[in-house]
Amino acid sequence: MSFIEIQSVNKHYGAVQALYDVSLSIAKGEFVTLLGPSGSGKTTLLKILAGFDPVTSGTIRMAGRDITSVPPERRNFGLVFQGYALFPHMTVADNIAYPLKVRRRPRGEIAEQVRAMLDLVQLGKFANRKPQELSGGQQQRVALARALVFRPDLLLLDEPMSALDKKLRFDLQEELRDIHRRLGTTFINVTHDQEEAMHMSDSIAVMNHGQIEQFGPAFTLYRQPANRFVAGFVGKSNLLEGRIAQGRFQAGDIVLSLPGAAAEGRVALMLRPEDVELAQAPVEGGKAALPAEVVSATYTGDRAIYTAAVGPEARFLVYGSARTGLIPEGSRVHLAFDPQDCLLLR
Amino acid sequence: MARSIFWISTVLCLAFLALPLLLVLPLAFNTSSFLTYPMEGFTFAWFGEVFGQPSWTKAIWNSVKVAAGAMALAVLIGGLAATGVTLTGRVLQMVLSALFVSPVVVPSIVVAVAFAYAFGRAGLSGSYASLVLAHAILGAPLVFLSVLTSLRGLDPDLDRAAASMGASRLHRFRHVTLPLAAPGFLAGALFAFITSFDEVVVALFLAAPESTTLPIALFSGLRDRLQPTIVVVALLLSLVSLLFLLAMGQMQKRGAAASRN
Ligand SMILES: Nc1ncnc2c1ncn2[C@@H]1O[C@H](COP(=O)(O)OP(=O)(O)O)[C@@H](O)[C@H]1O
Ligand SMILES: [Mg+2]
Repeated sequence: MSFIEIQSVNKHYGAVQALYDVSLSIAKGEFVTLLGPSGSGKTTLLKILAGFDPVTSGTIRMAGRDITSVPPERRNFGLVFQGYALFPHMTVADNIAYPLKVRRRPRGEIAEQVRAMLDLVQLGKFANRKPQELSGGQQQRVALARALVFRPDLLLLDEPMSALDKKLRFDLQEELRDIHRRLGTTFINVTHDQEEAMHMSDSIAVMNHGQIEQFGPAFTLYRQPANRFVAGFVGKSNLLEGRIAQGRFQAGDIVLSLPGAAAEGRVALMLRPEDVELAQAPVEGGKAALPAEVVSATYTGDRAIYTAAVGPEARFLVYGSARTGLIPEGSRVHLAFDPQDCLLLR
Repeated sequence: MARSIFWISTVLCLAFLALPLLLVLPLAFNTSSFLTYPMEGFTFAWFGEVFGQPSWTKAIWNSVKVAAGAMALAVLIGGLAATGVTLTGRVLQMVLSALFVSPVVVPSIVVAVAFAYAFGRAGLSGSYASLVLAHAILGAPLVFLSVLTSLRGLDPDLDRAAASMGASRLHRFRHVTLPLAAPGFLAGALFAFITSFDEVVVALFLAAPESTTLPIALFSGLRDRLQPTIVVVALLLSLVSLLFLLAMGQMQKRGAAASRN
């Protein structure tokens, strides 16, 4: 039973088409992230959900009700903007109280809820400051508090972390996930950062060129990407272009017998860097092995990162253990992997 | 080299702009009743004379009344126009802006004749109402431009944020847009006031003896009797203008600080 139902939404800006037949079903209480590179249509979809931009065609439903042409002020959705959009002429407390004042709640109730919200985002001490007297991370939390205080049916966040530094981002992601769990509100977050998406979301919609390429939990996107774009955008991956012939995958000199190599034609073989091992000898049972040469070796402390050349063109990224030190550049090795871990992408 | 050019140009400009004024102003304190140098002594007597003469005080009072009325009307018209224009599309916005600004670019003598004719037909000539209306029309474009500038400087996400929180258009305008655009309204109001306060040409066509404004009184004073009282009045006018300019500078500083955040 889906709570938010986006059905075949198309959006044109004059001659530019920003969204192509976008459909998405979001369950109540879910944390969904729209993930995609810049210009892929994430903000456009968010603006349509918020009601700021009309759709060219398609419908948006909430709990079965068609809300496609309901204006933003009657949708009851909370919004956190990329630049936070805090009111500079109001204190932090007045910013958070604004949606409650609009709703003409009694004074005492407003004060109480504002205090509860300030506690939730740990900004109790800053109630009487102006937003411009706060750090970026604090402003972001005020924006979050203001968007949640009126118990919206849906919270929309447009790249809320993009202006913050990396360490702070991670902490705020934790905090946001925690708040989501506590309140149980449905969240739709927008980001171009796949780590952020995987860190926080129940489900991720990967967007590219105004289309949804795949929608699913992080595990599915990572282990079972639907196509080359998702494989490349979500995590690191090795893609080897080749073709299927006589039930086997072929790319130049490389020939592999793989499960599921049925339909003939051009494909890309995908292999995650952590699924490959560098072996000194042509290995043990069940594993495929490709002779290769270590082109570069980097030590990062928690792991070793290798680039290995297979033949003249193909380069493989491989994560190895760093416990015994690095395998030196120029070494002749074998890339060992389980054929089960390979995925063929059309 | 660059420094000397800077100083030479600064000094020349200042001399060119301010010297005539600075040369005349000390004569307001001269004991002689002729406008000549050298000064014979120092006195505030001429100030007393100005404030004691009903013809001057009446003119000052008239000017303040007309300027205040014109300012209020100009803020209303110009502010509404600017707010409305920001809600329209790009092309319409350009056309409307050009229309609203047009009173500024038409030569004032032409505007004055038009007003005199129109108000004459309407039976308003010589009245306060005619002066207030005419000056409001001259001041409105200044308010319009100043308000438009500050509205354009606002982050459109602020209005969207307020909308997402359930605020109606009117509520958003009243509680978000208006307070943030206030420096623009204030600067526009000051512009409008001062424009009316030292406007001569239109007032010359419209003012009747009992509604004479200060610049007109000054003008006829010049023709009748050249006395230090005239310089006193000129000094007062300059002071008012200077005060308003300073106020405007402050306003702009605060406006810039507000829109930076
Ligand atoms: N108001 C607009 N007018 C014209 N084109 C727009 C407008 N807004 C977005 N676009 C276009 O739509 C596409 C998607 O933009 P956007 O949704 O902002 O992408 P993202 O948020 O994923 O970076 C881009 O090609 C952009 O140029
Ligand atoms: Mg965007």
